[in-house]
Amino acid sequence: MAVPGHRLDRMFNPKTVVVIGDKGPGYMWLNNNRTFKEKGGALYSVQLDPKEIPGIEKLGIENFTSLDEVPGEIDYAVVAVPRTVAPIILKGLIENGVHGAGFFTSGFAETGQEEGIKLQAQLTEMARTANFNLVGPNCMCLYLPRSGVRFSMDVPVADDGAIGFLSQSGTHAIQFSLVTNANGMHLSRCVSLGNAIALDIPDYLDYMTEDPETEVIAMYVEGVKDGKRFYHSLRAACARKPVVVWKGGQTEAGARATMSHTASLAAPQAIWEGMIRQCGAVATNNLDETVDAVKALALAKRPAGRRVALLAQTGGQSVSITDAFAKGGFEVPRLSEDSYKQLAEFFNIIGGSYQNPLDMAGTVQGRTETLDRILRIVDADPNVDAMAIEVSAMFAARHWQSRPEVLDEMLDALQIHANRSAKPFVVVMHPAHEAEYVASIQHKFNERGIPTFASFERAAAALDRAAIAAGV
Amino acid sequence: MTFESVLTQARSEGRDLLNEVEAKQLLQEAGIPVTTTVLAVTQEEASAEAARVGYPVVLKIVSPDIAHKSDVGGVKVGLEDDAAVNAAYEEIVGNAKKAVPNANITGVAVQNMAGEGTEVIVGMTTDPQFGPVMMFGLGGIMVEVLKDVSFRVVPLTERDAAQMIDEIKGSAVLDGVRGQPPVDKAALCDAILKVAEFVEQHPEVQELDLNPMIAYSDGAIAVDARIVVSAS
Repeated sequence: MAVPGHRLDRMFNPKTVVVIGDKGPGYMWLNNNRTFKEKGGALYSVQLDPKEIPGIEKLGIENFTSLDEVPGEIDYAVVAVPRTVAPIILKGLIENGVHGAGFFTSGFAETGQEEGIKLQAQLTEMARTANFNLVGPNCMCLYLPRSGVRFSMDVPVADDGAIGFLSQSGTHAIQFSLVTNANGMHLSRCVSLGNAIALDIPDYLDYMTEDPETEVIAMYVEGVKDGKRFYHSLRAACARKPVVVWKGGQTEAGARATMSHTASLAAPQAIWEGMIRQCGAVATNNLDETVDAVKALALAKRPAGRRVALLAQTGGQSVSITDAFAKGGFEVPRLSEDSYKQLAEFFNIIGGSYQNPLDMAGTVQGRTETLDRILRIVDADPNVDAMAIEVSAMFAARHWQSRPEVLDEMLDALQIHANRSAKPFVVVMHPAHEAEYVASIQHKFNERGIPTFASFERAAAALDRAAIAAGV
Repeated sequence: MTFESVLTQARSEGRDLLNEVEAKQLLQEAGIPVTTTVLAVTQEEASAEAARVGYPVVLKIVSPDIAHKSDVGGVKVGLEDDAAVNAAYEEIVGNAKKAVPNANITGVAVQNMAGEGTEVIVGMTTDPQFGPVMMFGLGGIMVEVLKDVSFRVVPLTERDAAQMIDEIKGSAVLDGVRGQPPVDKAALCDAILKVAEFVEQHPEVQELDLNPMIAYSDGAIAVDARIVVSAS
C-alpha cells in the first residue's frame, strides 16, 4: 500500500481485478490486463454471454456469469458493457463492496443526447450516494505499471515508475505513457479521467501528492468543474512535488458581456496561466513540452539557480547553444578564475575555447578522461548552477557505428558525472543526418538515466521549466 | 459612507455599477490611493469643491445612464480656475444631455488632477471557475491591443503581486525607459493587495477597475475607478 487509509489506495494497488463485459475477438481489456495476472494478481472475467465465454477461457482467465460469484474482495473492476447496462453493473459493484471501477463504457453526456445525459445522471447519483470510487465513464481507466494493470497492450509493466499522470483525454494518457517510456522513464500511476462524474482531478491529485512512489506529477486538463477545489489541490501538490500542467483547449471563449475593462480582458487561458504560476506549477502547451519538462524534473537534479555552463563541440554550436539558453531565461556566466586556470593547463585553444560556452571537441578528441576532467572542473565552479552538453551525432555517428564501445565509454562518463554532481545536467544530441541510428542508440541514454534532448531549444525549455518548478 | 449603505443605495436604484464618487470613496476608506473626488450637483457646488480639492481639477459627468464618460464629452481635465470650472460644468452637463437625452444626471464629480506618470491598470473580475481574480497591466496600447496583462486568484500573497507586475511583457517600462526613473513597484504591489483584500471582504463586488492608475517614482494613485456589484 502506498498511501495507507486513503480511499483510493486499494484501487491503486489492487490484488484482485475483474473485467466486466469484455468481448471477442480482441478481448481488449482482458488482454491489456494479462500482465496483472503475470505479476501475481487475481484476474477474473465476468461475462454472461455464452458466445464470449469460450474465448475468455482460452485466454486462461476464469470467467463468472455474475459478480456475486467472484471469490474474495475485488479491488478494481474494468467495466466495458453497453451503456444501458451500466447502471445495473454499478449497482452490483456497490452491493458487492468493490473498492473502485473504471467505466470504459461511453455514450453518456459527451454525446449531448438526452438518453446519454439521463444515464449519466443516474450513474452519478448512484456513485455519489454510495461514495463509490468510479473512474470515468467514457475513459481508458487506470494504468498501474507496478501492478500490471494497463489501458493498452503497448504500455510497459515497470516497478520503478515515478511519474504520475492525469488526463482528460484517453489518447493523451496512452500517448504520454508511451512517449515517456520511449524517453527512458516509467509511470507510477496514470488515470484517464473521462467524464469524471464521481472522482475528479483533485481526488487523484491528492492521492499522487501523498503517494511516495510518485515523484513528479503531470496532467492534461481542458477544464475543471470546481475551480477553487482544483486550485487548492494543485497548490498543495506543488508544495510537495513538481507538477506540470498541460492545459488543452487554449482558444478564447466567446466574448462575454462585461462592464469593466478587466472582465473584457479576462481570457480563460490568461487566468489559467496566472493560476498555474501562483500554485508553483509548470505550464506546458503540448505533448513534447510536457514529456521534456517531466524528463528534466525526473532525471536531472533540481537547479539552485539560472547560471548555466554550456559545453559545445564546436564554435558555431557554442553560439547556438548560448542563444537557446539565453532566450530560455538563463545566464551564461564567466567561469571562476580557478576554473580558467585549471582548464588552461590542458585546453587546446587552437579552434577551441574554454570560455563559457566551452568549445571543446579539439581538446577532448574522443578521450573520455579529458571529457571527465572538464566535467569535474565545471561542476566544481561556484558560478555554475546547471550544465548542458552537446553530443554530436554529426561528427561521431560513423565512429560510434564502427566502435560502439567508444559511445558506451562516453555515456558511462556522462552517467558518472550526472550521479556525482549536485547540479542538473542535460544532454543535447541532434539526430543530424543519422536519425535512424540515433533512434537506435536512444536506449543507451535511457538505461543510464541521462536526460537527452533533440535540440538546444528543447533542452533550454525543459531546464527552464525545472527551474520554475524549483522556484528559481 | 459604508460599503453596505452604498450597496443598498445602488440596489434600490436598480444599479449594479457604482458611480465614480461612490467607488473612489469606498476605495479610499480601504486604503487604496485615489484622487480626491466629490460630487457636485450645482455649478456653485462644483466651484466650491474645486477650490477645496485644489487646482488644477478634473470634472466628470456622473450618471447611471452613461458608462463611457469621455465618449459623450463628459470629461474636462486641467481646469485651472473658477471660471474654467464654471464653464466646464455647463459644457459637460450640456454634452451629456445632448448625447443621452433621457439620461438621469446625478451630478458632476470634481477631483484633483494627478500629475503625469506611467499609466497602469489594476483590476478584478469574477471568473466562473476560480472566483475573484486580480489583473495587472500597463495602460494604453499595451492593454488595449496587446492584452499584456497578468492574473492571479484571490487571495494573493506579496510574492504573487510582485510576480504579476514583473511577468507582463512590458515590465521594462516600469523599470524606467528613456531616462525615466523606475516606478514605485512597492506602491503598485500594495494597491493590488489592498484591492484583493477589499474584494475578499466584499463578495458582492463582481468587477473592479482602477483604470488608469498613475504610477510615480514615489507612490501611485488611481484617477478613475469602476466597481460593479452583484444585482442582489
